[in-house]
Amino acid sequence: MLTLTSPVETPLHRWPAGLKLALLCAATILLFRMTTPLPLAAIATALAALHLLLGRSIAATALRQLRPLWPFLALLALWHGWTGDLAQGAIIALRLITAMALANLVTMTTRLSDMLAALDHLTAPLARSGLPTRRLTLAIALALRFIPVLSDRIDTIRAAWAARSPRRPGWRILIPAALAALDEADHVAESLRARGGAG
Amino acid sequence: MTGANAQMDQGIVLRGASLVIRGTPILSDLTLALTEPRIGIVGQNGSGKTTLLRLMAGLVAPTSGSVTVDGIDPARDRKGMLSRLGILFQNPDQQILFPTVAEELAFGLRQQGHKDAETRARAALAAEGRAEWADLPVSTLSQGQRQWLCLQAILLMAPRTILLDEPFAALDLPTAARLTRRLASLPQRLITISHSPAAVATCDRILWLDGGCLRADGPPDAVLPAFTAEMARLGEADADPHLPR
Repeated sequence: MLTLTSPVETPLHRWPAGLKLALLCAATILLFRMTTPLPLAAIATALAALHLLLGRSIAATALRQLRPLWPFLALLALWHGWTGDLAQGAIIALRLITAMALANLVTMTTRLSDMLAALDHLTAPLARSGLPTRRLTLAIALALRFIPVLSDRIDTIRAAWAARSPRRPGWRILIPAALAALDEADHVAESLRARGGAG
Repeated sequence: MTGANAQMDQGIVLRGASLVIRGTPILSDLTLALTEPRIGIVGQNGSGKTTLLRLMAGLVAPTSGSVTVDGIDPARDRKGMLSRLGILFQNPDQQILFPTVAEELAFGLRQQGHKDAETRARAALAAEGRAEWADLPVSTLSQGQRQWLCLQAILLMAPRTILLDEPFAALDLPTAARLTRRLASLPQRLITISHSPAAVATCDRILWLDGGCLRADGPPDAVLPAFTAEMARLGEADADPHLPR
């Protein structure tokens, strides 16, 4: 979470991670049970207001984190514009935006170690039945560590492209990025092996 | 290293070890017994230095011949290697596995079976005067700090030998000086790879690798002047026609 946990302290940072995860779960279930656009819009507005209350920088970061959603929203608008069912489109879009913003808010206001501790707590019953929960926590930690590493690698590839081409790289960086990810995976495997493996 | 430990310490032994990758010989017929406290490995880019280190660490197995560490095959007995051998990768970003400092330090200890890994890791940080680092994201550390973290993670596991792959390559001068001092004070056996003769000048023994073969083996004042002269001579030419492709 690293780069994802907000360095700006908010009152939400002090809430226990378990409570925040439980609330997130409940809220998401609730969102998917609502079938009319108006209450959903009211919730989305309230959530936006909450972000602004927490501070301008948090709100700006939150808005930036919603960016990956835009292509899906555009697709939704196209589809529902074509079928003429705009209300249904609005419901799906509002659900998506609200659920993602809520999840991002929990991520931004929870330290990684608290999150992993909550997860350990949650998976404790599974551990008693003999399932390898250590591997689950390891996998999550690895994912969190390598998300910023891979996004750096992709930025480097993009920069290397831009340095030698007047055109934007677009989809063409997909193959080098995928190869970089495989390369990174090899190194991780080796580092894991050097210090005792994943067991 | 005293008492029973000293008797068990047979060092790293290679017997006719070779490594061939997709038909290309990378290392050829190396026979060595490494027991000195400070050993340097020099050679050009592509001479097989890093591969030799990975072979000794058990990260690759030889295609023929054998490698043993205290009589044990490092590629097979991974658990046994944890207390015998640690390796510091050239690029700290390829070594660090965890998002926070404390988790990175605790991992190796947990692999060694210590239940109190996290507590020990935090205590070690406090002993180094860096207790507040524990929950820092590793992505906020500088290159030198990451290298320090990698070394610390290995030292916590207390291996008898530490393999270092170009430890100074990416460091600025003050950081390199600090690391040199830190390494010099370690009781462990250190095997250091470098393309720079100065970095290994104080070692007890120097191995010079050339195209995957051992070109020279001896004390630094016997090997390093010849190595430096040869590198200067090669620098005059325009390419490396002798290296395998």
